[in-house]
Amino acid sequence: MSSHLYAYGVVEAEDFELEMEGVEGEGPAETVTYRSLSAVVTPIDEMDVERTDENTRAHDEVLRAVMTEGAGRTVVPMQFGMTFKSARPLKSVMRGGRRAFRKALMDVDGAVELGVKVVADEDSTLDRETVGADVSERLVALSDGEAENDLYSDRLVFNRSYLVDTDEQDAFGDAVSDLEAEYPDAIVQYTGPWAPYNFVDVEIGAK
Amino acid sequence: MFLLDDILLWPIRNVVDVLHSLAVQEMYDPESIQSDIKETQLLYELGELDDAEYEERRARLEAELDAAERARERLSDKVVVQR
Repeated sequence: MSSHLYAYGVVEAEDFELEMEGVEGEGPAETVTYRSLSAVVTPIDEMDVERTDENTRAHDEVLRAVMTEGAGRTVVPMQFGMTFKSARPLKSVMRGGRRAFRKALMDVDGAVELGVKVVADEDSTLDRETVGADVSERLVALSDGEAENDLYSDRLVFNRSYLVDTDEQDAFGDAVSDLEAEYPDAIVQYTGPWAPYNFVDVEIGAK
Repeated sequence: MFLLDDILLWPIRNVVDVLHSLAVQEMYDPESIQSDIKETQLLYELGELDDAEYEERRARLEAELDAAERARERLSDKVVVQR
């Protein structure tokens, strides 16, 4: 019996349903509304969710659907693994965090997160400093925010996330494509749109 | 004579201790193994690893991570990790 709720993120108050499978294959995605905010949830059996590849992907996919379905929505994502016993404690979190949620919704209004990685070929001499400065200069101009991510591989010379207005997304994509020509001895990996994980800062306390 | 031996061995033992704890840190560092897992994932996404290579590397690294985390718990009171 799926009596608990798994929460993905918070949007402006709206009732909707998305026919899709979320974390642990449960669906559909629905909303729980508290005043001007709605949380997107799916049912779930267990309060502890295992962080498998399938589950983290499902978490991202539900958020992406929330952002892109219909006319699109601004979403404040929650970290992976937020479960609630029922709608009541979830609403009380939304009440407690309403200021933070409202501010975050404003900060990321109409924007998505896009990821750009530059991976140098094995024998390349590209260095992180030069690439970092150049790529950042090109992309910052087209974005509302930039966040640096971990360079977890020696070949990874650039790994940043950008907050991009959906109206600017095409121009941003073109700028990323130009990078391919600029750096023939590297591979540019362009990912997204993601929910703006790196650009919201909402601390969620008690479950 | 006994005293002399003891004094002479002192620095050597220290060096060995240091080397040993460095090796333990390197081998049982879950964060560095996690970086290797992410790198493997990235190279797979970019098509530099095929399915078989990816699965093989991934399984090996996950086993290493498991072992590292267990070792960390066992050694947590013996090894001070400095990063």
